[in-house]
Amino acid sequence: MDDAEYRKLGFKCGLEIHQRLDTNGKLFCSCSTEQDGKSIGKVYRMQRAVAGELGNIDMSAQFEESKKRLFEYNLFRGSTCLVDIDEEPPHSLDIEALKIALSLAHAMGMNTLDEIEPMRKGVIDGSDTSAFQRTMLIGFDGSISANGHHIAIPSLCLEEESAGIEKDYGTEVAYNIDRLGIPLIEIATSADIPNPEAAKEVALYLGTLLRLTGKVKRGLGTIRQDVNVSIGDGARVELKGLQDVSMLDKFVENEVKRQRELAEIAVLLKKAGAKVGKATNATNVFANTKVQIIKSKLDNGGKCLAFALPGFAGLLGREINPNRRLGSEISDYAKTVGAGGIIHSDENIWSYGFTESELKELRKTLGSREDDPFILIAEKAGIAENAIEKARLRAIQAIEGVPVETRVAVNDSSCTSRFTRPLPGGSRMYPETDVKPILVDENMLKAAALAAPDLERETEALKVQLKDEDLVRRMLKSPRLQLYKSITGKTKADKRLVANIILQKFTELSRDSYPVDGIKEERLVELFTLYDSGKITKQAIDEILKRVSKEDGGVGAIVRELDLGKITGPKLSALVAQIKKEIKKGDADSVKSAVMMRHRLNIDGEELNSLL
Amino acid sequence: MYGEKITALLKSINAGLGDSVRLTSGKVKLEGEVMPSTEANDPDIFVIKLKSGYNIGINPKHYKVEKLRKEKITAKFHKLSIKANTELSKVSLIYTGGTIGSRVDYKTGAAYMLTKPEELLYEVPEITDVANVSVVPLMSIASEDMTYLEWGKMAKAAARELSNGARGVIITHGTDIMHYTAAAISFMLRNLNAPVVLTGSQRSSDRGSSDAFMNLYCSTSIAARSNVAEVGICMHHNSSDSECAFIRGTKVRKMHTSRRDAFRAINGRGIALVRRTGEIEYKGDYRKIDNENREKLRVLDKFNPKVALVKVFPNSDPSVLEFYTGKGYTGLILEGTGLGSAPISPVEKGKSWLPYIKGAIDNGAIVGMTSQCLYGRVHPNVYRNLRLLSSAGVVYCEDMTPETAYVKLGWLLGNYNKEEAKALLKRNMAGEISERTDYDAFLV
Repeated sequence: MDDAEYRKLGFKCGLEIHQRLDTNGKLFCSCSTEQDGKSIGKVYRMQRAVAGELGNIDMSAQFEESKKRLFEYNLFRGSTCLVDIDEEPPHSLDIEALKIALSLAHAMGMNTLDEIEPMRKGVIDGSDTSAFQRTMLIGFDGSISANGHHIAIPSLCLEEESAGIEKDYGTEVAYNIDRLGIPLIEIATSADIPNPEAAKEVALYLGTLLRLTGKVKRGLGTIRQDVNVSIGDGARVELKGLQDVSMLDKFVENEVKRQRELAEIAVLLKKAGAKVGKATNATNVFANTKVQIIKSKLDNGGKCLAFALPGFAGLLGREINPNRRLGSEISDYAKTVGAGGIIHSDENIWSYGFTESELKELRKTLGSREDDPFILIAEKAGIAENAIEKARLRAIQAIEGVPVETRVAVNDSSCTSRFTRPLPGGSRMYPETDVKPILVDENMLKAAALAAPDLERETEALKVQLKDEDLVRRMLKSPRLQLYKSITGKTKADKRLVANIILQKFTELSRDSYPVDGIKEERLVELFTLYDSGKITKQAIDEILKRVSKEDGGVGAIVRELDLGKITGPKLSALVAQIKKEIKKGDADSVKSAVMMRHRLNIDGEELNSLL
Repeated sequence: MYGEKITALLKSINAGLGDSVRLTSGKVKLEGEVMPSTEANDPDIFVIKLKSGYNIGINPKHYKVEKLRKEKITAKFHKLSIKANTELSKVSLIYTGGTIGSRVDYKTGAAYMLTKPEELLYEVPEITDVANVSVVPLMSIASEDMTYLEWGKMAKAAARELSNGARGVIITHGTDIMHYTAAAISFMLRNLNAPVVLTGSQRSSDRGSSDAFMNLYCSTSIAARSNVAEVGICMHHNSSDSECAFIRGTKVRKMHTSRRDAFRAINGRGIALVRRTGEIEYKGDYRKIDNENREKLRVLDKFNPKVALVKVFPNSDPSVLEFYTGKGYTGLILEGTGLGSAPISPVEKGKSWLPYIKGAIDNGAIVGMTSQCLYGRVHPNVYRNLRLLSSAGVVYCEDMTPETAYVKLGWLLGNYNKEEAKALLKRNMAGEISERTDYDAFLV
């Protein structure tokens, strides 16, 4: 589709980029922002929705509370303190983070404030121990020009990172709170991004700008791109958790497709006069069932609840995205309260082992006609009632159209998404009175202007260093840009070599399951320093990277342990002489292959050639 | 509070808090609602709330400011109907203020006290499954502002509720001096035959993570279902929302500035643990409800405020005692070092506490000794200095905390004559002195 077609669809798309900063301390305490420790203990908490600004309980908050979850928080030695577990008021704002945020605001031509007011934004999915996130507006009304797309940047905020989910048990969720409170930059674009491809371009541009500050974290999950998408007949959907920005356009395309399909389904349902029946207890129908997934629940004291869906025939199984159906959407809702899933009659119902008499009895219980679809949930008591109501809620929404939702990306080749919760309302924000507002003075703004990342200047500098336009382009888009700058700032190693290793070699090794992005920067500095001083060969770099990516350790020690020291000068001459004697052949090729066979990683091929 | 410039500006455009305004400067245009300036804001910064919910601070000197419209939002609290289940035990919840009773104004962020205390129950509707709770609004003040007068009011209110048929009483209270209040009420309610539970919260109940919800639920369980006939504090037992500890009012102390589990048993193990689900696990000896007890509950609510709690510390100037006696103080509780000591023979003679202590006693004051160690018992004989102090007439207050000893002496001097007060100070009256100390009653 071209831009005009997207316009006709009523396509609206905006991005929210979240980037974790690489500061020494967290935003409101002095804990380390590194996350490499082992958990030293746990605390368990419950949270509940409380009355909001106008006395209403925010819908999203209520949805989370209806899940009645217990939250388990894993604590860490250097990276969590009482502030992180909501047992101590916040300390003052981290100035390093504020400086970075101001420099970014400057880079995007934003207006800044005279006094920054820290706020609390309600969060009740447990990802924040205090049930709110601290956030503040730093800049407003800026703009960027990304690959020809001029896009407004209405806001830049500095906020606290949430805790990371360690495990979701359904009724209980475990979070690691070492991540909680790390400074996070949030950049929001306007919703006028014209097409999915442009959305990807804008995301890449903003990613580069952030990395040019030299102060952002690298590695999986340190930058997140949330996309807001809607079409005229659809609804605003926030898509979160995209891991690979290069797939962003595909996700947006699929979201457009999903909304179009759902809008069509709604039209058909309305035409058919579709209805959602009441939840009915069907436990007795299956008292002697052979359907294993029902039997196992009932044997353990569970319940079987069902409802009929007159008018839905053929639509529950209709594909709305690759491998996803309306039935999957309904199932997602049931899963949010701990159900394993749903059974619906638009799938191959016989494969479960239902008998005809069971289905007849079920329909009788539901008071439905033979061709009316039904949805059935067998679960523990408590979960079953909640889950069936969530499923009914989603089915009712299907008749109305596309529901407003927060969805999470399914990070596989399908580029689809699934429901996580309703979209939070915008009103749940109130001042964080535990923190003093920050006056922004002239000196802070001057410093921000000096430190502001400048894409043009950076591109020119890289062109001089790398002398390869393609390499420059790749480097600017790479999350490892900051690493490149840091290494080349700390060693004299050849810049092109560094660039090639961390772009090309890292990608290769990553693909072969070597977690190279977890290698500490200091190890890479050691590595390139050794190479630059002629202590190791280029071939040895590979081996060292493989090793150090799996087990952190000093590079010097690894070189000794794996016998990777470079053989050069007189030692190499002596080796050549010895091998010549051993193989009793004098021709250059034979000597070379014999030497390299034994010492491939220790010898520089060119030096060897010069000796032969 | 806004400074003169902004006050004048607001006046000139006839705008007040909550009104919508527009700020324009060249191409920059901002619209939002006027927010109040707090003590933390610069008085010359104009704070407005944008539609996005963010507050921003602007120096209005660069902007043209216009009023757009008057505030029209009126805040209203969601109301759940609180059902009274008359089949359940009747429990009275006496409301006195504090963090547990404070709410945040979601627009301004300012904390304020609940005007309708029953709003507390809206947040924890499940307590109505445990008891038939009626809310008694008594006062609405921060605990640090309380005095003995409020202690007396609370004791009387609790007694009144119990004689009107309540099975138990809950008192919601600010946490700062809750342990003083708990001790005071423990002494004031004589012949108590029902549970009286003080509770509060360290995180205000307007936040989803508040400890108030479980504290209220567990306190209700104690008041409605336990067989304890004592005054105690019921708050989080640890940092998790898993259980609360119910600790005797004379053996409890706030031991942390901010943690949920700040209240700890001192020289005791607490009376019971109450699980999140309401089950009660009794832990040690306690006074049980006696259905045969026909003696009436009495309230001895007088208190003599001319009692001081004085800390002994290195380099301290003991002449501070003269200040107190000069002001007519008749009771002094010393928070001594170690086993209950004070400098007696320092190189600098003037720093010896002994002559000043003697002077105070000669002046008619009762001087009690406790320890700043908090844990453990004071002892009048182990060292020479201790012997000298006790021979001078200092009363060694056994294993009482300094705060409990202070409250006890003030109460004794309010309700008994001096000789009785001196004798009773070292005699157990409300569980404040235990004859023996369990090994595991330390750092619990």
